Amino acid sequence: MNVVVCHDLTKQYGRSKAIQNMNCRIAENKITGLIGRNGAGKTTLLKIIAGYLHHSAGDIQVFSENPFNNLKVSANTIFIDNEMSFSQGLTLKELLETAESFYPNWNHDLALKLFDYFSFNPTQYHGNLSKGMKSTFNMIVGLAARCPLTIMDEPTSGMDSATRKDFYRALLKEYIAYPRTIILSSHLLDEVEDLLEEVLLIKSGEKCLHLPIDQLKEYAIGVRGKTVNVEKWTEKMEPISMQEIGANMSYAVIRNDRSLQELEDARQLGLEITPVSAEDICSYLTSKTKGGIDHVFSRG
Amino acid sequence: MYLAEVKAWDIVKKQYRYKLKSYFGVFTSLIVIQLLAILFSFNGTGSGSGSSNSIQYDFYYYTSDIILIFMMIWAFITAIIITTRAYRYDDFSFVTNRTISQVSNILFLLSASIFAGITVYLSTHLFQILAFYFKDNYSIIVDSLSFTEFVMGMITSILYIFLFACAGYLVGILIQLHKGFLLIIPTILFGGLILDGVGGDPELFVNITRFFGEETSFILFICKIALVSSILLLASLGISNRMEVRK
Repeated sequence: MNVVVCHDLTKQYGRSKAIQNMNCRIAENKITGLIGRNGAGKTTLLKIIAGYLHHSAGDIQVFSENPFNNLKVSANTIFIDNEMSFSQGLTLKELLETAESFYPNWNHDLALKLFDYFSFNPTQYHGNLSKGMKSTFNMIVGLAARCPLTIMDEPTSGMDSATRKDFYRALLKEYIAYPRTIILSSHLLDEVEDLLEEVLLIKSGEKCLHLPIDQLKEYAIGVRGKTVNVEKWTEKMEPISMQEIGANMSYAVIRNDRSLQELEDARQLGLEITPVSAEDICSYLTSKTKGGIDHVFSRG
Repeated sequence: MYLAEVKAWDIVKKQYRYKLKSYFGVFTSLIVIQLLAILFSFNGTGSGSGSSNSIQYDFYYYTSDIILIFMMIWAFITAIIITTRAYRYDDFSFVTNRTISQVSNILFLLSASIFAGITVYLSTHLFQILAFYFKDNYSIIVDSLSFTEFVMGMITSILYIFLFACAGYLVGILIQLHKGFLLIIPTILFGGLILDGVGGDPELFVNITRFFGEETSFILFICKIALVSSILLLASLGISNRMEVRK
């Protein structure tokens, strides 16, 4: 069963399109990573799924219903981001108790244990927390709510590295104990790739890739060698990225679908073939120009 | 995985309870404003004097008018405050949709108005006692009310306060819809009043006050307030359905 189904989804802000013609399906009980550059439309997509924003065209179904302003979707979804707003009139402890009354699957025991572990002061107010502490508190609410659809938009922003590691571990343990659909957006794929089952990569509001993480890791290969040879070898292919790395040396990234013969040819030309990490694949795929940042500084 | 089925009315109740707890500051401001109003009423809300051959007298009225007016303004402002973004977004951190959010807001305003109406009555007594002890009075005449009069008086105060809360709510929602209303509403309101009074014979404001103030039938008065408040609230509901839930 698919929890989220988008069909030609488009969201327009004035004249600019934040999301255009997005088609995707997010399967039940999987951890999906939503990866993209700044401004790619990650948050907009997540807010549409959570029912906060109205889409402009196309169709979206969450639990087979239109999520916008929908009570059933609201009750079964929790959206965690660092702009989450909690009442200034209630202490952290009272906020947890309020959340308990709203979410039917809420695990109060877990919430209190995490609350103690991260040494929160029960009488403090949410507005007085530091950025990282806010994210941590929101994360506790997100995990303890045990919503069938848990959406986390850059949940680790502001957290220190120890807290991040704790968070990912807590997320994984909670997911195993109580499987649910989790959508996690991040621009640091390196950090979350061990956690994810699927990756949805978006580029300027459009779907770029939607693959299981294992396939993404083998999606591309890197070729390094003399510029002349690299260019000769990749002549008939469409490199994902091509950049110069020093005098007469180049590095190209291509799809991992070459025949053995072609790879043998490459070796003959003295080219070195290397695997490319999932994080790098994503940044090559989503970069606006083929040359990368070096292109800006090149004196050509 | 099973999906939780929720009943709208249950969520309204939960949101309402959440609001009573989390908007507690509203009631603190109510008490501060009432104390201020008592201070303002201390010299009497009306006074006069007279004399005949050998006597000269001054008299002062001590009524709850000023306190009631302060409470009406308080209700108006409170209603605007709870439509602001920070308050609206608070709801959406938990389970809700827009209609539920609005209905629980209205229930909250109604309870706040009831609370304010009751405290208006109580604080009237407080300041009458204070006036008795601290002013050099020679005689005090207290108008004692029958039970029905007392209940009617209290309900009237509550309804007036609620009417202002509804008006404030609509104004707040309009401002949330477009910031331009921040300018447009005062311009229309004050501009209208000035234009109305410029000929020396103001009608608009007087007629509005008369519409409510000169109603002698209590039932009709309740109907009038109910009608106007529902128009204001329905307009708010309708307008807020044009907005995004959360940006």
